[in-house]
Formats: sequence, C-alpha cells, structure tokens
Amino acid sequence: MTRYIIRRLISLIPTLLGITFVVFMFQRMIPGDPAVAMLGEHATEENVARIREQFGLNRPAFLDREALANGDLKGFFDSQYFRYLGRLFKLDLGDSIHRRIPVAETLALRFPATIELAMLALLLSMIIGVPVGIISASRRNSLLDGVTMIGSLVGVSMPIFWLGLMEIMLFAVFLKWLPAGGRLDSGIKVEAITNLILIDSLIRGNMPAFVDALQHILMPALALATIPTAIIARMTRSSMLDVLQEDYVRTAKAKGLRERVVLLKHALRNALLPVVTIIGIQAGTLLSGAVLTETIFAWPGIGKWVYDSILARDYPIVQGATLLIAVIFLLANLLVDLSYAVLDPRIRYE
Amino acid sequence: MAIDISRYKGTAADVPISTQRSLWQDAWRRLIFSNTARIGMFIVATFVLSAVFAHFFWTYNPAIDLDYTLKLKPPNLVTTEEIPSIHLFGTDKLGRDIFTRVVHGGWNSLRVGIVAVGISLIIGGLLGLLAGFYENSLLTPNERIFLMGLFGLALGVLPSWIAYQPLQMFLFGALGVLSAMYGGFLEGSKIRVLIFAVAGLLIGAVPSFWVGPMVALICGILGMGIGAFLASPVGGQLFSNIVMRLMDIILTFPGYLLAIAIVAFLGPGLDKGMIAIGIVGIPVYARLARSAVLSVYPKEYNIASLALGASHGRVIFRHIVPNILSPIIVQTTMGLASAILSAAALGFLGLGAIPPEPEWGAMLGDSYRYLTSGAWWAVLFPGLAIMLSVLGFNLLGDGLRDALDPKLRT
Repeated sequence: MTRYIIRRLISLIPTLLGITFVVFMFQRMIPGDPAVAMLGEHATEENVARIREQFGLNRPAFLDREALANGDLKGFFDSQYFRYLGRLFKLDLGDSIHRRIPVAETLALRFPATIELAMLALLLSMIIGVPVGIISASRRNSLLDGVTMIGSLVGVSMPIFWLGLMEIMLFAVFLKWLPAGGRLDSGIKVEAITNLILIDSLIRGNMPAFVDALQHILMPALALATIPTAIIARMTRSSMLDVLQEDYVRTAKAKGLRERVVLLKHALRNALLPVVTIIGIQAGTLLSGAVLTETIFAWPGIGKWVYDSILARDYPIVQGATLLIAVIFLLANLLVDLSYAVLDPRIRYE
Repeated sequence: MAIDISRYKGTAADVPISTQRSLWQDAWRRLIFSNTARIGMFIVATFVLSAVFAHFFWTYNPAIDLDYTLKLKPPNLVTTEEIPSIHLFGTDKLGRDIFTRVVHGGWNSLRVGIVAVGISLIIGGLLGLLAGFYENSLLTPNERIFLMGLFGLALGVLPSWIAYQPLQMFLFGALGVLSAMYGGFLEGSKIRVLIFAVAGLLIGAVPSFWVGPMVALICGILGMGIGAFLASPVGGQLFSNIVMRLMDIILTFPGYLLAIAIVAFLGPGLDKGMIAIGIVGIPVYARLARSAVLSVYPKEYNIASLALGASHGRVIFRHIVPNILSPIIVQTTMGLASAILSAAALGFLGLGAIPPEPEWGAMLGDSYRYLTSGAWWAVLFPGLAIMLSVLGFNLLGDGLRDALDPKLRT
C-alpha cells in the first residue's frame, strides 16, 4: 500500500509539471507588460526597466538560446519559467502585483474559508444524497422515487448563483432570518487555530460565535451542495439498482433478513464504489462552484479572491490559486483510488 | 405472435407482415412514448423556437432600449397612468422590459451552448476516436510513416529552435520516416539503436556548429536522444497515451475556473466564451469516445471488415462511429445543458456578453444588486429561463439515454 501511494505520488509529477506549464503559459498570453501594469501608464522607462529586472521579466520565457550561442550554459536555463519552478520548490508563489503581499500568505489565510464551505457542502450532499438514493432504489417506481428523480434532475439543472440569489431574497430580504453575506458578524471575534471558524469556535467553547458562523455558512453551503447532492443521489440510486439484482441480495432476502440489513449491509457496501468515485469528482465541482457562491455571498475565500484578481489582472494570485486547486483535485482523486481498497477488500494495491 | 396462416385463402404474399422498424425508428418510438423525453422536447422546442423567431422576426435594438421613467417596475398585467405599457416580467434598472430581453437573450444563450458543444464534440470526439482505435490496432505502413514523421518533426522543434536551424526539424522528421520505412532492418538489435542515435547526433550537432560549440553540444545530446527514440517504430499506443495524458491535464483544472481564466486572457465577449467553454469540454468527449471505441472495437463486425481488407478510415467511419453514436448523442444533449449553464455563469461574472446585449447570465449579473431593495422580478425571470432550458436539455438527454440504450435503463 505504501509503495503504491509513493508510486502514485511520483506519477503525479509529470501532470504537475504540465499544470505549472499551462498556468505559466496563461501569464505569458496576457497582452501588455506586467511591469507597466504594476507601475501605471506614466512610469518612467528607468523604473519600468528596474521592475523588469527585479521580477526577471527581461528574461526569455522558457530557454535562453542566445546565451547558449555565446557558450553560457547556465544562462541557457535562466528563464522565467525555470525561475518560476525554482520559486515553486521553495513554496514561493510570488507577490500580489497590486498589494505587494506574498500570495502564499493570503492563500493560507483565505483557503480555510473555502475549505470550510466546500467540506460542509460535501458533507451535506452526502448526508442527503446517499440516503435519498438508497430509499429511492428500494422503492423503485414509487411516487417517492419519481419525486426524487425529478428533484435530482432539477438540482443538476440549477444555476447555483441564481439559487443563491433566491435564497438571499427569501431568507435574508423577505424573512430576515439569515444574514445575506460574509462569514461572521463584524462584532464577533474568534481566535484563530485552524482558521475554520466553525471548528475554532467549538474548541474555544465560544457558542455565540459558533451559532453566528453557522447562520452565515448555511445559505452558501446549501447553494453549493445542490448539484453534488443531485448527482450523488442519482448515482447511489442507479448503483443500488444494479446491486439489488445480484444473487447474493436475493439469497440474503431468502434467508429472511430484514430489509434494512439487506439494503445497508449487503447492497450498499457493494454499491458504494461508483458513488465514491463521483464524490471525488465533486471535489473539483465544489472548488470551482465556490467562485460563484463566494461572489454572491461575499464569502472571503479563494473563489471570490481569484475572481476579483482576474478582473484586477493580478496574475500571481490567479496562478497560485489555480495551482493550489489543481493540486487539491489531484490529491482528492488519489484519495478516492485509495478508498477503493478500504471499501472493497478484493482490491489490493501492490 | 404467431400468425395462423391456414386462415388465409390467398398466397403467401397476402400474409400481413408486421411493419419493420430500423434501430433508429425503434429508438424514436421509445423516445416519444417516454414522458421525460416528451416534457424535455417540449421545453427545448419552446426555447429554441422562441429564440429563433425573436431573432429573425422581432426587431430589438438593445443599444437604444432604455427608459428611466420606468426603472425597476414590478410586473404588471394592466396599464395604468404611471406605467403606460404592459411588462409581463417587470423592468430592469434601465427601464428595459425584462420579458423582451429574456426572449432575445435566449438566442445568445442557446447559441453559446451549441457552438461550445460543437467545438468540444468535434475536437474531443475525433481525438478520442483516433486514440481508442489506434490504441489496439496495428498501424498500416503508411500510417506508421506518417506518425513517425510527425513524432520526428515534433521532437525536432526544440533543437532546431535552440540552434536557429529550421532545417533540423525536417531532418528529424525524415529520420522518423526512414525508421518507419525500414522498420525490419536489424530489428530489435542494439546496433539499430546505435545507428539511429549517431544519425540523430549528427543531425543535431553538425548544423549547430555554426552557432556555437555549446549549442552543438546541447543539440547533439538532444539529437542523440531523439534518434534513439525514433529507432524503434512506435505504435498507436503512444499516440493514445499522449492524447489522454493531455486530456487529464485539462481535466485537473476545475471547469468554471479554467473557462474564467481562458476568457480573462482572451477578453470578454460571447465568442470568447464559446471558445472557453468549448475547450473545457474537450476531455469529456475525448474520454467518452475513447472508451466507447474500446468497447466496440473487438466486435466481430470490425474484425471481419478489417480481415476483408477494409481501410482503417472505412472501419472507423462506417462501422465504429455508427455504433458509438448513442452514448455520444446522449452526452451531447447533456453537454448542451451544462454549456448553457457555464455560459450563464460566465455572463453572470461579467465575462460573457458585452453589456447592452441581452443574455440570461449577464441579466442576472446586472440586476442582483437590486435584490436587497426588493426587485425580485429582475432576478427571478432570467434565472428561471436558465434553469428551465437546462432542465429541458437534461430531461431530453435522460429520455434519449433510455431510448437509445434500453439495457442501461435504470
């Protein structure tokens, strides 16, 4: 198992290199000079040259063939891309162009907010989606099943930004039950431990903060969970339907086992593999859906930050956050593959 | 049901034969008898027809459409002195009739979806088709020559760029072609690898000497590697691997984020949105097409056709494509739904249609700030249009899946 994990991690390296290449290419494709963007239109030429020198923008993009022609082997590899890779190894994601703060620092501060939102949404979608799928499969073609199927189709078709707006309209504007945006009321402070406010406030025993954080996270989490819930429910249902036709399920029923035992102990465990796969894929959906949800609910996570940075043309931020999200997605897929072995003892990784 | 022939007095020709139906006619029958598909078709037809008719027969100029006296009025069904015109869906922040804009916005939203899916379907489908087919089948000599030439050319780009010698690239291409043409020459022996490595070394190093000794060294090493690689003619497996690895890289970027990034770099606009959403969708179709090809490839009709000497192109397009069409049709319908959704998301973030142009997502993005002051109609109706049209395509796709593949029915 350990050897398998190590081998998988090594096989991630080419993909990761490809991702850094794509992310880097994006920066190169932007029209205009980042140095001018940093200093403004009226900067003197000396200043622009100084900034270009400082950030290595005067170096070639990938390889310096002129240096090589002059016999300088070291200069050949001294390019923007290799410098970028070198910085990445030191976990240095560069500085924000506009605010001059290290990207990694802000990322560390904002990422927990996104993780908190995405994890809660994933939890919600599993808690709702899996049981609904099981019940729907066990009562196939019943009214309940029909309602579930239509409901899940509507869920998959839901523009989550619109659903979020409708939630705000109903619960924040008309009913005034929940706050319309933000992560915590400005009057409430929680000392940071993990930066996941729900967990921090529980550890500190700060109940008012916990309740307030819960009120804030409820609407965005529900909006974000809609599509994953629908997909998980559909997948659980169809996977359960396949398994329920197997001989061992018939045997279990013939033995006179209670339906609950047959469903949960015999069928569910065998039906879970495709469900877990689809849950893993949702990791990507949740992280990218966060861009929309966070924009609507003014949630201070990386989604909104990336969006703002794209509009402000602050590329180091976009690069850093995109890279982080892609890495998380890759790791989530690895985790899914590993969980197969736990769920199905017949699968062994050598 | 058996027919009792003895009851008939006439000849065999008079015996009624149940009408024959082709596979597609059969699928069509199943489709129109399914409720989901019927509702889906109805919704899709409504949106498509209204968008098309509005575009061609209902002139609307978004650039001059504004009336500040009618700013943010709720829906009304009767005219009053204050509001002299009927606004079924109310008006937006510029006093524009939301109903008009929703109907006209349909043209833009549906168009983005169709073009984007077209891009991903054509590029992704073709890549997946070729990857799936050549993963298992032996290349014909001509295909091998073409592929090896291509590999040589592609690998030669780097040294020829470093050495300012475009000629090198073509020499490496020729080396690949040679290797494919004389694939049997000293096959599998180390001497063959050595010969090709030396040839690569010469191609890399000799022209580079004019630029500088260091360049010659680097290009020589690169050329040696390329030559050694080209020594053993590769099969389609490598091509398939390269294509699928590329698809994996695109897939690691979460959908919206990649589309947003592409649009951010191309600049906003409907046409750029189409390209961005199209690119993001390519891997889905490539993977689907490849796995579908892999499952039908070993079927007897393909083997028979290949054994009869049919060309690869004929096998692919006459035998494989018709048999993998059903999952692709289903995915395309569902893909239209998600492309419309992505287009709306881009529009909402201000990266889709350029302002006065009506588009559902952009209309939402324009109006959601007025939600807190109670203007629910400006947000409700465009969003409803998005949701219903997406739902329509999803229902249709669901019905199509049941109709085209009865075995999958769950």
